[in-house]
Amino acid sequence: MSQFTAVQVPKAETVVISLTAPNQVKLSGTITQKDPAHDLAGLFKALHTAAMADKLAEVRADVSGLTFVNSSAIRLFVDWATWVKNERGHRYTLRFVTSRNVTWQKTSFMALMSLAKEVLAIEHVT
Amino acid sequence: MSSFDRSASPSSSSRLAVAGSSGGSLRPGDGAVLSGRTLVRVICTGGSGALEYTHAFVSAYAADHLRGAVAPRLSVGAYELLSNALNFGSISSDIVIELIESETMIGVRVSNEAIAARVSMLTEHLLKLKTNAEQTFLEELRRSVTGGIPRPMLGLARVAHEAGLALDLQVVERRITMTAQCRR
Repeated sequence: MSQFTAVQVPKAETVVISLTAPNQVKLSGTITQKDPAHDLAGLFKALHTAAMADKLAEVRADVSGLTFVNSSAIRLFVDWATWVKNERGHRYTLRFVTSRNVTWQKTSFMALMSLAKEVLAIEHVT
Repeated sequence: MSSFDRSASPSSSSRLAVAGSSGGSLRPGDGAVLSGRTLVRVICTGGSGALEYTHAFVSAYAADHLRGAVAPRLSVGAYELLSNALNFGSISSDIVIELIESETMIGVRVSNEAIAARVSMLTEHLLKLKTNAEQTFLEELRRSVTGGIPRPMLGLARVAHEAGLALDLQVVERRITMTAQCRR
């Protein structure tokens, strides 16, 4: 049984989170709360742990519908990429599905690629 | 006018301007003190939890009144400047956030009181942004993983690099005013 799909998704005020496939999480809306780690850090860590347990080759994080995030939220994506990068042995590719029309996604994930390109992939949907 | 202008002492009365990293070359007026018509002014209590709803209001106003490309840039500026003021400003004085437009420029301006150490930190950070906003953004992103002192300052790096807004810091005694602006 997939541990990834069994991860409990928290309810957050401004962002809708759903697990849309055994290796895909989708986030849409905005992340503006002062400390988004309260809702999201635990989720990202649980998804990472589950992906490792499931020995997934790839995890898709679809953020194309996230129109605004604060810098604290960007740090959470950096953290996730760092966890994957620091794994020894099996590790998966973390693929961020992004929109070209959303500026923060272009700049942040381009910069993130330079920090962890060995474990990241960026896909554009629009 | 030069896009960079700094006095000798950041603690008394000084000014530092940093041009945004995108949007082409500088033109006359870019990075200058923004004076003009105030479109919106919101006064927040220092240390309050006013960030989310104030940002939502300012962003909604910008989206409704300004051309499409400018509003999201100002939204980033409004959020990060107000967040800094609420997190690092004095809780004993009010924070003022304004949307201001002149003939050629539009911007968000946030003022609050801060201690001298904060002013020095901001001044140093703006100098780095002025030198290379993209590189500074990358460094702050990296530091957000490794930590360190001072704590990572990703917000202003976003404003300069991602939103392409020109940053300007003015200090009068303990009152600091940060402006993020771009051409209309």
